Amino acid sequence: MQDYIIEMNNIRKSFGSVQAIVDGQFNLKRGEIHSLIGENGAGKSTLMKILFGMLDPDEGQIKVRGEEYSCLQPKKAIALGIGMVHQEFMLVNDLTVLENMILGFEPRKGWQIDFNEAKRRALVYIEQYGLHAQLDKKISEISLAEAQRVEIIKTLMRGAEIIILDEPTAVLTPQETEGLFKILENLKQDNKSIVFISHKLNEVMEISDRITVMRRGAFVNTTNKADTDTKALARMMIGREVFLDIKRSEQEKGKMVLSVDDIWVPGDKETSKVKGVSFDVREGEIVGIAGIDGNGQSELVEAICGLRKIEKGEVRVDGKAINNQSPLAIRQQGVSHIPEDRNTRGLNRQETVEDNLVATVVRDAPFSKHGFMHRKAVRSYAEELIEKFDIRPPMPSHLTSSMSGGNAQKVVVARAISDVDRVLIASQPTRGVDIGAIESIRALIEQATRTGIGVLLISADLQEILSLADRILVMYEGEIVGSMAVSEANEEKLGLLMMGVKEGANAEC
Amino acid sequence: MQNAEQSTFISSLTRIILTILLSFFIGSIIILAIGENPLTVYGVLFSGAFKGQLGIGSTLAMFTPLLLTSTAFALAAQAGASNVGVEGEVFLGGLVAAYIAGFWTNLPKPLLYILAFGGAMLVGALWALIPALLRVYLRVSEICVTILMNSVAIFLASYFVAGPMSAGATFSQSPPAVIRLTQFFRPSRLNTGIFISIFAFVLMWVLMKKTTLGFRIRMTGTNPSFTETVGLKPKQSFIIAMMISGALGALAGCIEILGVHGTYLDNFGANLGTNGMLISLIVDNQIMGVPFMAFFLAILRNGAMAMQQATNVPKSIVDMISALFIIFATMNITFNFVSKRKKKLQAAASSADLLQETDGKIQSNAESEDQAHGSK
Repeated sequence: MQDYIIEMNNIRKSFGSVQAIVDGQFNLKRGEIHSLIGENGAGKSTLMKILFGMLDPDEGQIKVRGEEYSCLQPKKAIALGIGMVHQEFMLVNDLTVLENMILGFEPRKGWQIDFNEAKRRALVYIEQYGLHAQLDKKISEISLAEAQRVEIIKTLMRGAEIIILDEPTAVLTPQETEGLFKILENLKQDNKSIVFISHKLNEVMEISDRITVMRRGAFVNTTNKADTDTKALARMMIGREVFLDIKRSEQEKGKMVLSVDDIWVPGDKETSKVKGVSFDVREGEIVGIAGIDGNGQSELVEAICGLRKIEKGEVRVDGKAINNQSPLAIRQQGVSHIPEDRNTRGLNRQETVEDNLVATVVRDAPFSKHGFMHRKAVRSYAEELIEKFDIRPPMPSHLTSSMSGGNAQKVVVARAISDVDRVLIASQPTRGVDIGAIESIRALIEQATRTGIGVLLISADLQEILSLADRILVMYEGEIVGSMAVSEANEEKLGLLMMGVKEGANAEC
Repeated sequence: MQNAEQSTFISSLTRIILTILLSFFIGSIIILAIGENPLTVYGVLFSGAFKGQLGIGSTLAMFTPLLLTSTAFALAAQAGASNVGVEGEVFLGGLVAAYIAGFWTNLPKPLLYILAFGGAMLVGALWALIPALLRVYLRVSEICVTILMNSVAIFLASYFVAGPMSAGATFSQSPPAVIRLTQFFRPSRLNTGIFISIFAFVLMWVLMKKTTLGFRIRMTGTNPSFTETVGLKPKQSFIIAMMISGALGALAGCIEILGVHGTYLDNFGANLGTNGMLISLIVDNQIMGVPFMAFFLAILRNGAMAMQQATNVPKSIVDMISALFIIFATMNITFNFVSKRKKKLQAAASSADLLQETDGKIQSNAESEDQAHGSK
């Protein structure tokens, strides 16, 4: 028993009347990688924030190296050798990598900061663990994966023995994830302990020594990796069987509904973010676009939906050009859109569920008559969608900001799918959503195709694309660099294309 | 909704009352320093505002334009616009009304009413259209533009009344208006404009609560990118809200000229727009809160006269107290003080959110990082 470096027992934490953690149990051995998994809102992050001293538990016992603490402060936690890499990186964009690393812990030489000493210390970790980082670049100039390594070095420089990583792989490509796992292995070899928070079961099965599952704020089980598999883990997380691989019913592919013909779209800073992209979507077909975020997918979607100007080329729905029309006009021609960023474009978080649900159709009868809103019609429409899409809690008058991520996303999906006529543009439809909601959102998209709707699916999640799409396109630096039927595609092939490695070229990167 | 709406209403009400009390408290420290008893002074202040026909009438006469200017600001704010230009629109509205009522004297009177009101409101709306267009199409801050345009409006009006529109008197004033709004409650200057003002307010309330346009304006104010995405044309709503706001400001000026002064007096509407903005800001730009605060401010302004006559306290103390309102209201300190204990309750409401956020952050993070790194 005494080899546990961390023990957390009977942790309780509530926010007002809501129990975030009902019964938190967690223990960590020295030199292990321990995954903490659960759905969104299962309390994983909350539990780890308690360990890191960011939140105080209402009840419970925390033992660090056998010594008991009723609650911790982040300062205290750092002193005890606990470090946390948050989902939202705590880095200052305008400072250099090195400056960020030493922020608050600057080595000094008289009045001045001793940058040479700082560099020397940072290099120790960079070399020892393969945490490659360019010390003199600004944070705004480096990639997300590199920023993450900077965060890890930061915790190490503060003397961390225990490193908590909160959903570290969500922002990484498959290849970058491999790189991260190598680093974690190195850290483990050096007897550091790692807490890996995730809801991606494959990754968890790959990297962990032990796995703790939480469901609805309560501890479910801790197992050795060897004693379990993804199916069992999913069952523990959800409390029932899950089917993520949607069985695609063989669809008759009809005529072309959406065709994109050599379009060029400017980005916010660059003149062309999308460079001559062409493709077609047929009735009943799901075309998936894979690619690392920031390679022009967002601009492509915004251009199709009328939210961004198209400089050159044509977008047609049922053969009719729709480029550079207003978002409203494009919607009226049957294009429906699930925006990638749920919290700005997808939802108005300061408004109610019903107002969000009705927003695209509010001007039409029966919701508006002679400029006046018909509140009763809005309410019954909202109630209908809430029931049909199983949005919880089933309260049309709740603010969307009070909902969990999965349910908020269901509001977005419900609005788009009930309004769709010809084409559904689904951009990251399940990002940041838990496994139960992923299952139902994917099923809803699949169902939509049965009515002859064409779907353009943009997702950073390769499994999602592989399980839903009929045809897969890969976008890299604003161009389509690969196109294949789903039967020819696999994760590795797509991953390499996403990194810009040409097919057939050596896979070294 | 009932619950959510009620609780926000109650919390903003408590916030406002606390803000008022705190401002009065600081005011009383200064009154004590002057050597008067704060209770007596405040007593005179409030009783003065309701003393006899003159007191009540003057308070209501003060309320009339303030209700309009504060509604004007609040309506623009619902669309996310800060129309600081209400001040200038009051002057221009008054100027146009005085011009039409003072120079087009051979027209039939009923037509003249329509023209004076319609003309004033049209000019106010067009004046507000300029900053709205600059904001929507060129992303120039409407706050800066409206502040600058206020000076233009005020000096323009001064020029007209001293020059082309002068009645030739020693003071800068225009020829007397041939149409007037009937005054009642004499000797106060209360006039039928108060009904127009209240009617306009009710209309705006209905607009925001019941109509599709109100829905669009609200959505634009709370999240323009969402509004754009769902095809509700936020730019259009923004422009419409600004124009309505401008028209309301000008309406206030028109009522002041035709109801109170009967002629364009230079500088007649000083601070009406600014006070309207303050009222709206105190009540968090909620249309429903505007009339109460406007009435309260009217009481203060009017009672200040009585206070100055009966005590040694200068009426500028009221300006100070209302300025303190704004500071506290915008700083939200009193609110935060109360809500510290309520934090847990609020957390309950948003706890689902909080829980989700810990996991959902990944998304916003990915996106914000995207913006930071994305277009390398």
